[in-house]
Amino acid sequence: MVTVKIWGSLKEAAGGRSELRVEAANIRQLLQRLGAEYPRLQPQLKRGVSVSVDGRIYRDAWFTELKEDSEIVLLPRLSGG
Amino acid sequence: MRYEAPRKLKRAVALLSAESGVARVLAGGTDLLVQLRSERIEPDLILDIKRIESMHAIAAERGGYRIGAAVSCAALGEHAGVKQLWPGVVEAATLIGSTQVQGRATMAGNLCNASPAADAAPALIAAGATVAIAGPGGRREVPAEAICLAPGRNALEKGEIVESLYLPARPERSGDAYLRLIPRSEMDIAVVSAGVSLSLDAAGRCSAARVALGAVAPRPLRVEAAAAALIGSDLDEAVLAVLAAACAAACDPIDDKRGTVEYRTEVAGVLAKRAAVIAQTRAGGAA
Amino acid sequence: MPLDHPQDLTIKDFKIVGQRPLRPDGIDKVTGRARFGADMNAPGMLVGRVLRSPHAHARIKSIDSAKAEALPGVKAVVTGADFGAVKDGLDDGMLDVLVNCMAQDKALYDGHAVAAVAAISQTVARQALKLIEVDYEVLPHVLDVDAAMQPDAPVLHEEAADESVPAGFSKNVVRRYEFGHGDVAKGFAEADRIVERRFKTEAAHQGYIEPHACLAAMGPDGQAELWVCTQGHYMVRNTCAALLGMDASQLRVTASEIGGGFGGKTTVFIEPLALALSRKAGRPVKMTMSREEVFRATGPTSSSSIDVKIGMTREGRITAASGELRYQGGAFPGSPVEFGAMSAFAAYDVENVKTVGWDVVANRPKQAAYRAPGAPMAAYAVESVIDELCKQFDLDPLSVRLKNAAVEGTTSSFGVTYGKIGLSATLEAARAHPHYSAALGPNQGRGLACGFWFNFGGETCVSLNVNADGTVGLSVGTPDIGGSRASMCQMAAEELGIAYDKVRTVVADTASLGYNDVTDGSRVTFASGLATIQAARDAIRKLCGRAARMWGIDEDAVIWEEGYAKPAGGNAGSFEPLSLAEIAAVSARTGGPIAGHTEVNADGAGQSFATHLVDSEVDPETGKVKILRYTVFQDAGKAIHPSYVEGQFQGGAVQGIGWALNEEYIYGEDGRLQNPGFLDYRVPVASDLPMIDTVIVEVPNPGHPYGVRGVGETSIVPPLAAIANSVSAAAAVRMTHLPMSPPRIRKAIEEAAGR
Ligand SMILES: Cc1cc2nc3c(=O)[nH]c(=O)nc-3n(C[C@H](O)[C@H](O)[C@H](O)COP(=O)(O)OP(=O)(O)OC[C@H]3O[C@@H](n4cnc5c(N)ncnc54)[C@H](O)[C@@H]3O)c2cc1C
Repeated sequence: MVTVKIWGSLKEAAGGRSELRVEAANIRQLLQRLGAEYPRLQPQLKRGVSVSVDGRIYRDAWFTELKEDSEIVLLPRLSGG
Repeated sequence: MRYEAPRKLKRAVALLSAESGVARVLAGGTDLLVQLRSERIEPDLILDIKRIESMHAIAAERGGYRIGAAVSCAALGEHAGVKQLWPGVVEAATLIGSTQVQGRATMAGNLCNASPAADAAPALIAAGATVAIAGPGGRREVPAEAICLAPGRNALEKGEIVESLYLPARPERSGDAYLRLIPRSEMDIAVVSAGVSLSLDAAGRCSAARVALGAVAPRPLRVEAAAAALIGSDLDEAVLAVLAAACAAACDPIDDKRGTVEYRTEVAGVLAKRAAVIAQTRAGGAA
Repeated sequence: MPLDHPQDLTIKDFKIVGQRPLRPDGIDKVTGRARFGADMNAPGMLVGRVLRSPHAHARIKSIDSAKAEALPGVKAVVTGADFGAVKDGLDDGMLDVLVNCMAQDKALYDGHAVAAVAAISQTVARQALKLIEVDYEVLPHVLDVDAAMQPDAPVLHEEAADESVPAGFSKNVVRRYEFGHGDVAKGFAEADRIVERRFKTEAAHQGYIEPHACLAAMGPDGQAELWVCTQGHYMVRNTCAALLGMDASQLRVTASEIGGGFGGKTTVFIEPLALALSRKAGRPVKMTMSREEVFRATGPTSSSSIDVKIGMTREGRITAASGELRYQGGAFPGSPVEFGAMSAFAAYDVENVKTVGWDVVANRPKQAAYRAPGAPMAAYAVESVIDELCKQFDLDPLSVRLKNAAVEGTTSSFGVTYGKIGLSATLEAARAHPHYSAALGPNQGRGLACGFWFNFGGETCVSLNVNADGTVGLSVGTPDIGGSRASMCQMAAEELGIAYDKVRTVVADTASLGYNDVTDGSRVTFASGLATIQAARDAIRKLCGRAARMWGIDEDAVIWEEGYAKPAGGNAGSFEPLSLAEIAAVSARTGGPIAGHTEVNADGAGQSFATHLVDSEVDPETGKVKILRYTVFQDAGKAIHPSYVEGQFQGGAVQGIGWALNEEYIYGEDGRLQNPGFLDYRVPVASDLPMIDTVIVEVPNPGHPYGVRGVGETSIVPPLAAIANSVSAAAAVRMTHLPMSPPRIRKAIEEAAGR
C-alpha cells in the first residue's frame, strides 16, 4: 500500500479525502488503481497528471517504483514556457 | 505605384499637380514607409524630394535660419548655429525616434504628417517658425501652427510642397525648451508635450513668450493665455501655477491607449512649467 | 566510472563547463547569414495570407470566397470547412488548437482567422482577402476576467467547463483548482496582523522580435516538408499531422533559427494553414505574420485578478496564507491559473495555506505559455502583501523572507516536499551584495521579491557521432532559443575530453531523431544536456570497446580519462593511451562508425528559486518611473555557460520591467485591440534600463549529472513583484494594478493624497 496526496479540488471526487491509500508498486499501477477505485477521478487522469515521488516530479514514466514510505503527490500536468 | 525623384523643385510641383491619383511626398519616409508597409495607404505616386539640392541647405537669413525641407534631424542636431539660437527646437528634433530614425526623419515631414503628437510642432510653434510652401500658384509662407488641421490632415493644397522652415532671429537674453512625456526614454510618441520660448529684459523679467502644447487636442496648440501669464513676471511659483492652469484650460484631449483626459490635462501644465524654467535658464535668467 | 548512474551528481573539476566560449551560431547571427522562419524560399512558391475577424465575438453565418478564387493569380482559398473531415477525431485540446488556427462557426476574438488564401504575390493575396465575403452576426463580447465570470456575461462556449467547476457559475468559468494544507482559519487566528488585497494584471505578450513564419510544401503524393520558426518542431509535426489528417512520417519539419519565443512559440498558428493551402494549390506556400497579426492572433499571457490574504506575527512569521486567482486565458480553456495557484506561496514554508484558481474564457486570443506561465502574477500579489506586512511591522523584508523561506524538507504549498533548493542562498547573496545597502534619494524606493518555478524535463533524444577525423557531431531535437548549442558542445567536450570547437551541435529535423518535447519549461540545458552527457558516455563505452579490441584485452579493463582510452591498471597490461582521434581514425576497420545515443523521458529537473532587488525613482508629478538599479540572484544549480545563464537572468528582469511598467493589451469598447504594434505596446528599450546585475548562485541539482537546474523561466517570476514593491515605496502608495504606467501611478498618488 502506498499513500498518495491529491490536490484540493480533487478531494470531492475522492470522498472528501486528501490522502488516498492504494495498492501500487509503480506509477502505472497507481494511476490504474486510482481510476478504478475513484471513477470520478477518471476525467482528470485522462486529461493528464504529473506525479511527484519523494520530491522528484514525473510526467508519464509508468515504471517508476513506489515504496511504502514514498511521498507521492498527484499534480496537474506540468508544462512551461 | 510610380516613384519619381526630380532634381528641381519646379519639376516636383509639376509632377505633383499633374497626378490624378493619390500622391505623396517622400522626405525621410519614417512616417510614409511605415504607413505603406502597414497597408494604410496605397499611393499612385511617390515623389521623393531628397534629390533636390536646395532642400538640403541650412542657411543664415535675416539673423535667423532657413532650413531646407529635406534636412534630417541628425544634420540639424549637428548645426552649431541653429543649436545656439534655438536649442529647444533642436532638442525637439533630436529626440524624434532614435539615432537611426533621426538620420532620415525631417522636421518638415514631422509637421506635414500632421500628428497632434508630432514632437517638432510645439517647439516650432513656440519659436514662431514659419513654413515656406511651393505650389502651382507660386510660393507662400505660413506660421507653423497653420500646418496641422486635424490628425493626419495638413493645410497643403494639391500640388504643394513644403520647401523650407524659417526660424527667426531673436533678441538677446532669449531661450526656448521642449519637453515631452513618454513612458519610455526613446522610440515613443508623446503622451503630452510642451514647448516654451521666451525673452527676458535687462532686469530678468519675461518680456515676450510663446507657449505651445502637443497631444492634448486634435492639433498642436498655441496657448496665448499661458504666454500672457509669463510676460512681465520673473516666473515665480505663483506665475508658474497660472501658466499651468492656463495650459490645462486650453487642453481638449481624448482618452486613448496613450493616456487619459485627466492625465494629459494635468501633465500639460507640469511640462509647461518645467519647460518655462529651462527656457528662462537658457535665456540667462534665474533658475 | 559512473556510466550507468546519470542521476548521481558527479561533481568534478570541470575543464570546459563553466567557461564562456563563443557561441557557434554567433557569426551567422551578426552577419545576417542565419536563416530564420521567413528566410527560406522554394521554386514556384506562393504567398499565403490570412483574413481575420474584425469582431471580438460573432457568428459566422456564411463565407463566400468565389470572387477571391476567380481572381487571376489566386491558387487556393481555405476556410474552416476545409478542416471538417478531421474535426471529429480530435481530442478537446487539439480541437481547440484547430478552432484557434481557423474559426469554425464563430469568430471568438478580434484577429481570429476566418479564411486564408495562397496567391502568386502579396498584392494579389491582399486583393483576394478583400474579395472574400464573410457574413457575420455580431454578438456581445466580454474581455475582462472578472466581468467574464459574472452570471450574465456573454457566453463564449456552451460546454467548455469540466467537472471541477461547481454548479451556478457562468459558462465562461471552465476550470477550478484548489491546493494547500493545514487550517487557514486557525492560522489567521494566530496572526498579529492580517493584510488582504486585490490585484490586477493586464495581458502581456512575449514580444519576441521574429514574427511567426513558415514555408510549407506538400506534393501530390501527400509527402510534405515544413520549414518553421518554432520552439518545438516535433510538436508542430504531430499537431499539423493531426489537423491535416496525415501520417506523422509524411511530414518532415525543420526548425529555423528562432528570433525569440519565451513560450509563445510552443503551439501552432499559421503552420496548418500553410500546409492546407499548399495541399490545395499543389505549390509551396510561405506565410509570414505581420507584427499586427502577432499581437492580435498569437498567444499573449493571461490577464489576472487575484485576492491574497496573509497573516503574520509581529516577529515576521507567516501563520496563514490564502489566495484566490482568476485568470482569463483567451477564448479557450487553458489559462495557466493552476500553475499560479501552485506557485503562489511555493517559496515559503507555510503551515496553513490554501489557494483556489479559476480558469476563465474571454473574447481575446488564446493565451500561450510565457516563461513560468502563471507564476509572475501570483508572485506579484503574494510578494506585495508580504512587503506591506513588513512595512506595517517595520521589519526588514529580506530577513522576513529568510525566516519563512522554504528549505530542504519543507512541504510546499502544492504538496511536494523539497529536496535540495537554493532560495535561502539567493537571499543571503542579496544581503551580501552592495546593492542591498546602497543609499536612496528622494522619490526613490527599493523593492525585493522572491520567485519559484518548477522546471521540467521531458522526452528527449540525442545522437552523438564520432567522425573519423576526431571531431564530433551532436544532433539534438530541441530548438536553440538561448545559446543551448554552445552548452551542448561544452558538455559533450567535457565528457569526451576533447576541445570545445571539436564538437558541432545541430538541431536535427523531425525525420532524423526520435521525438523531443518542445524547448520549454527551462528544460533544454537540463534534459538535452543530460541526454548529451549520456550519449557521450555511450560513445565512450564504444570507444573503450574499440581500444580493448586493438589491445586484445577485456572491455572492462579499459577506462576513459581526459580524452584517452587507457588500460585500467597494471593487471590490464601496458599500452600507450589511445586518443579519441586515434580510435576514430581506424573506426572503419574496428567495427564501423562510432556513435552514442540517448532516448530518455528526463525527470529530476530541480526546482529553481530567485531573489530580485530593484531600485526605482518615481516622478510624482508625471508618474513616470525610472529603474535605477536591478540585481538578480538566482540558483542555476550549475552554470554550464555562465554568459547565457546571465543572459536568461537579465532577459527575465527586462521582460518583467516591461510587464510591470508599460506592457499591456489595450482594447476599445468595440473589443478590438488598440495597440497591435511596438509603438504602443511598450517593451522596454535599451535606454530605459540600467545594467542588470546578476549573481549566479549554485546549489547543485541532484537530478542532473553536473547539477544543472533550468534557468530560463524563474527569472521572470519575481520582477513584477520586486518592481511593484520598489515603485510603491518610491511613490508612497501601494500599486495594485499592473502595468504601473505613468497615468496609473499619478492617479494612485492623487488618490492617496485625497485629491
Ligand atoms: C521608429 C520610429 C520612431 C519615431 N519616433 C517619433 C518621435 O519620437 N516623435 C515624433 O514626432 N515622430 C516620431 N516618428 C515619426 C516620424 O519619424 C517623424 O514624424 C518624422 O519627423 C517624419 O519625417 P520624414 O521626413 O521621415 O517624413 P516622411 O515619412 O517622408 O513624410 C511624412 C508625411 O509628410 C509628407 N511630407 C514630407 N515632407 C513633405 C514636404 N516637404 N512637403 C509636403 N509634404 C511632405 C509626406 O507625404 C507624408 O505624408 C517615429 C517614426 C518611427 C518609424
